[in-house]
Amino acid sequence: MTEYKEWIGIVAIACALLAGVAFGGSYIGTLVVWIAIAAVMASSLRFVLLIGELNFASAAFFGIGAYCTGYIVNHADLPFVLTLALSGGLALVVSIVFGGITLKVKGPYFLLIGFAFTEALRIFYTRMEALGGNSGLVGIFPPAWLDAHYQYFTTVLCFLLILGLLGIERSHLGKIFIAIRDNENVVRSVGNRVFFTKVVCFAIASTVAGLAGSLHAFANNVISPLDFGFMLSIFALAYLKVGGEDSPLGPVMGAALLVCVASYAQSLGGNEHILYGLAIVLSVLFMPKGLAGLADLLRRKKESVA
Amino acid sequence: MQEVFQLLFTALQISAVYILFSLGLTLIFGVLKVVNFAHGQLFTFGALVLSLTMGALAPSLGHGWAAYLVAGLAGLAACLAVGLVIYQFGFKRLERDMTGSFILSAGLVLLFEGLMLEVFGGAVRPVPALLEGNVQMLGLMVSRQRLVLLVFAVLLTAAILTLLRYTRFGKALRAVAIDYEAAMLQGIAYRRIALYGFLMACALAATAGMLIAPVAAVTPTLGDAYLVKGFIAVVVGGMGSIVGAVAGSLLIALLESFVGFYFDPSIANLAIFVIVMVVLLVKPKGFFGND
Repeated sequence: MTEYKEWIGIVAIACALLAGVAFGGSYIGTLVVWIAIAAVMASSLRFVLLIGELNFASAAFFGIGAYCTGYIVNHADLPFVLTLALSGGLALVVSIVFGGITLKVKGPYFLLIGFAFTEALRIFYTRMEALGGNSGLVGIFPPAWLDAHYQYFTTVLCFLLILGLLGIERSHLGKIFIAIRDNENVVRSVGNRVFFTKVVCFAIASTVAGLAGSLHAFANNVISPLDFGFMLSIFALAYLKVGGEDSPLGPVMGAALLVCVASYAQSLGGNEHILYGLAIVLSVLFMPKGLAGLADLLRRKKESVA
Repeated sequence: MQEVFQLLFTALQISAVYILFSLGLTLIFGVLKVVNFAHGQLFTFGALVLSLTMGALAPSLGHGWAAYLVAGLAGLAACLAVGLVIYQFGFKRLERDMTGSFILSAGLVLLFEGLMLEVFGGAVRPVPALLEGNVQMLGLMVSRQRLVLLVFAVLLTAAILTLLRYTRFGKALRAVAIDYEAAMLQGIAYRRIALYGFLMACALAATAGMLIAPVAAVTPTLGDAYLVKGFIAVVVGGMGSIVGAVAGSLLIALLESFVGFYFDPSIANLAIFVIVMVVLLVKPKGFFGND
């Protein structure tokens, strides 16, 4: 029963956001796209957490997707759908190579390598003249036929990706992921290929991050190396932590809440970093299961009273 | 040949700061099994407090040794106070929870960086040089300022290594790093050692920041570049290993000065990353890692 509650919750939030695009102004529409993309990033981070690893390289794959899109739009005239697919594909290929090397190490080593990879790529972008160097790439617009509906398209696609990740998590493969997190030696002893499965998990999450990056590039029209530093991974972590990492609903709720609050705070002249930092610190210390955990706790209390 | 010596000296001088920085990281990892991202912020905070106090003291004490000493103590005290608060209210509650405490430290990075930008502003706060001029040494031109920095860092590193190697406290700390449960069975007060280890690391970060302050542009984001390098040094050397931190820092500094000189600084950064990947392929736990 609880399995379906999360599906329903995610779809409900998606519908609410779509309604926001339909009835809100252009500002609300932009905000909805940010929320959808942030939710995908947080879900991708959570997906790798299923095998027990914190994937700090997710910002790097987001950047790869965005830059691939930017490059194709500026240098080759390919159809929109193909551009999107190629961006996801590039993230997939890079993530298989990167994961194939780094997933041999675990815990803090994996995390720090992801962190270093993100920074190395950021430096790489600033060095590449073809990628616009320090100033980045401009003029990344969605095609004319989609322009008017781009906000709907992005929101729907983002939520399909999130539901897809949830589907994999609930499948047989997803159960192996969680078993690896709990005890990988047991998984190996019953004949599963642990390393291979880890790379698969990492590659799926990274492809999704790459697609999100591509959508971000089209939505933002402009990308620069500074958008894809390790701070992006920390932001995704903030959404995940505030929402709660145990439930697939968590990253979506966290993204919706934090993006709205940050946008409101910025309009009042507040500092985004302080807000996100405070949100992470407070949720780690006082709300370790996040919003989703809090909702669960309230429900259980109600049930025990009744 | 002259060129090579000059580069070697530069590498030595950069590595001095990296060593102080990564020693702190590896100490924290050793005693708490925590990857502390906020280490770079303490480094920056030390430098900022130093520059602020120096500015305030300038009318009465000038820019001499006395002002530097007082400001240095102020920076150290401020960082220790912040470290104590972070430990007591944060890391202590998440003892040995790697992911949780890492996320906490990532949150602290954002929080501190935002707060420091608000309080100190984004402008560069110059710290006056303590010594002017250059000295001729072994046929090399070396600025006095950097020479003092190097000597101080080397002495401090030696002191820390001696402390860890020969004193009762150092032995207890290493025992905790190897196996904290076995250490507790031997009657070592784990919590106290963990607190002291954490504070020592904070003091190291502050000292490193204050040493680099006169030769660097002191801004609220000063620590970020050192954070990446420091972590890479620790990963290459093996997390929790003291020797590893020193060796890793030397390797990074050598790459940075040689590749940076013969090619260009951003190629050096990429080269450092490639080296890490290669090292991890060959030795997944780093050169001196054992956990």
